[in-house]
Amino acid sequence: MSRLLIIDDDAHLRESLAEVLELEGFECCQAGTAHAGIEAAKKVDPDVVIMDIQLPDSSGFQICQTLRKRSRRTILIMMTGRFLSSEEKKQGFELGADEYITKPFDLAELSIRIKQLLSRRTAD
Amino acid sequence: MAPPVRRGKLAYKMLGWFLLISLAPMGVVGYHLVGISQSSLRKATLSMQKTLAAGFADTAYKYVTTYRNVLAETAGIEEFAAMNPARQQQYLNRILQVHLAILELSVCNAQGAEQLRVGRLLGAAPPLRNFENEEFLIAALRRGQYIGKLERQGIYPTATIAVAVADQKAPPPGKPAGVLMARVSLNGLTSMLGMEFPATGKSAAAVVDKRDGFLIAHSDPKEVFKSDARLSDEELKIITTQTAPEGGGEMSLSDGRRLVGAYADVRDLDWVVYVKQPAEYAYQGAVEMRKQVLEYLALAVVFIVMLSLAAANYIAQPIRLLRVAAAKLGRGQFEEVPEMTPTNDEIGELTQAFLDMRENLKEKTGDLLQAQQELEKLNRELNKRVEARTRELKAAQEELINKERLAAIGQMASVVGHEIRNPLAVINNSIYFIKTKLGLTPGGADAKIEKHIKIIESEIRQANGIINEILTYSRTRELKPERVLLNVWLEELLSVYPFPPHITLDKRLDPANPPVDIDTTEMQQAIRNLINNGIEVMPEKGAISVHTRLADDRGSVAIFVGDAGPGIPPDVLEKIFAPFYTTKARGTGLGLAVVRKVVDRHRGAVDVDSVVGQGTVFRITLPVALAAVPGVRPA
Repeated sequence: MSRLLIIDDDAHLRESLAEVLELEGFECCQAGTAHAGIEAAKKVDPDVVIMDIQLPDSSGFQICQTLRKRSRRTILIMMTGRFLSSEEKKQGFELGADEYITKPFDLAELSIRIKQLLSRRTAD
Repeated sequence: MAPPVRRGKLAYKMLGWFLLISLAPMGVVGYHLVGISQSSLRKATLSMQKTLAAGFADTAYKYVTTYRNVLAETAGIEEFAAMNPARQQQYLNRILQVHLAILELSVCNAQGAEQLRVGRLLGAAPPLRNFENEEFLIAALRRGQYIGKLERQGIYPTATIAVAVADQKAPPPGKPAGVLMARVSLNGLTSMLGMEFPATGKSAAAVVDKRDGFLIAHSDPKEVFKSDARLSDEELKIITTQTAPEGGGEMSLSDGRRLVGAYADVRDLDWVVYVKQPAEYAYQGAVEMRKQVLEYLALAVVFIVMLSLAAANYIAQPIRLLRVAAAKLGRGQFEEVPEMTPTNDEIGELTQAFLDMRENLKEKTGDLLQAQQELEKLNRELNKRVEARTRELKAAQEELINKERLAAIGQMASVVGHEIRNPLAVINNSIYFIKTKLGLTPGGADAKIEKHIKIIESEIRQANGIINEILTYSRTRELKPERVLLNVWLEELLSVYPFPPHITLDKRLDPANPPVDIDTTEMQQAIRNLINNGIEVMPEKGAISVHTRLADDRGSVAIFVGDAGPGIPPDVLEKIFAPFYTTKARGTGLGLAVVRKVVDRHRGAVDVDSVVGQGTVFRITLPVALAAVPGVRPA
């Protein structure tokens, strides 16, 4: 079973997303801050991290960079509520982000995308 | 400006000079002329007096010599001496009868004894006298004759005339035997003088004995017929001291009278004829003449004054005109300058110079006025431009404010959108969870729950769409233009656009197919928004028209997007491009605002033409990419 880490300061979003993805068969843990998220990642070593770009204590890109340094294999998905410029997107990809999703997102689609990325990683 | 009293000063000055020049010589000449005339008149007067005096001297001589001759004639009668006294008396009486002036006749012998005496009023036998040693006796005996012994008989002057009576018998022959003596009245001389010198003219004449001043005759009988008749000592002194036999001149008497007098000695006698006239009468002619000359001079002065005035005016007139004209010129009244005809003299040259100056000034002033007008025109234009520029600036400022406002709105919308997206995402997740948890597969559980879940999902999409629209509008992304051929780009856009089945497409693209530099993402959004709107107003059936037309100058191309909907009323038409303005039940009011923003960012223009009941046509005008336009090369 793949482990998911969801980092978002919005508890409702975290929980709803976690429960939906649990229904899809993922094991989910959550963090409300960047710091907590990095700590949790150290503990659980997640296969997938879904994180908001804007967090109270840090930006999603920094977590992305930290997590990518820690593990090359972790799938990093960035969540955003606003439009990102292509510069921002490029920056994110360079720091190791695998995917961007804009709120609100189609959960079925997300689920399939995650599974796809996971299976491709396993194939590597 | 000079006060009016100074007018004509030049004329008066000239008048003064003219008068000086003309009158001064005239005065001098006139003065001398009068002097000369007066002196010649005086000379003439004097000479006339002299002539008169000489003439009367002759008359007086003749008067007395007449009686002497009468006596000599009688005395010369042969045998007179020898006659007896009776005969002699007969002779003498006849003389008395003929010559009334002879008052008394006596005959005396050489010793002076009177022998015969006849006379008027003497009676028959008057007493005889002895004339021994009497002057007349001695003189007559010695010289043959005597005229003298003036004395007054009563008040009348008389003279004694005596001639020698020759004795024919006694030797030597010729020795006088006695003397025939007569006392002659000299009144005749006075009456002759009175006739010759009438009282008029105040001239007077007198005959005087030079030796003792005895007044023999006078033109005025009153002066002579009195016992103490004498001329004044002063006159007598002047008359009797003259050495020349005749002469004359002016005399000033001690009482202030001035006389013009002449004298002439009577031949053979010690008498002198004296003619006098007071100077004022003597010179009356000269005075008259002087008066007349002065009158003529005065007339001449008047005439010269008038002539000079006319001349001065004639000379000063053009100068006065010039002055008036100069004053007018000074005020810029070029056309009111009085008419002036240049004459062929210096004033004419001045006038000509003035007229030339006027023309020059007029021209210059005209130029100045024109320049001023042009300046004013330029000023007005400048003002207009300033106003226009001000309007532009104001518009720009308003636009800026508007932009800032829009930016603020955009920022707010961005924040709000972002914040709403989170709850939307949560709702979305939750619905998905519920849907999954309930196992709502098609044809599965409660149809009503499924329906409502679908409604929620639809609303979430719609809300998300609205947020997307707002965020798109407020987004300030950089424009990324790329050069495309308009027809090619439009064809592609239209081919993928999901037209509903009840809509037909009327597509007419200009074959010129101009290249345009556009940000395809944004421009696509704009065209799509227009097509969306068109489709929305034609819910049942209709056609969307998409036309393009290259402008005649090939500098721009217009894209027309039209519908056959109900049209837009004019009061709405002016607001449709404003952000958040909408007439739809659900709409952000940003569709057309986005269109305008996009077109503005492409330096194009968008406008709309709508007829209520017929439809609406939007026109987007975009600049043609110059470098690629055939036949037109950039400068």
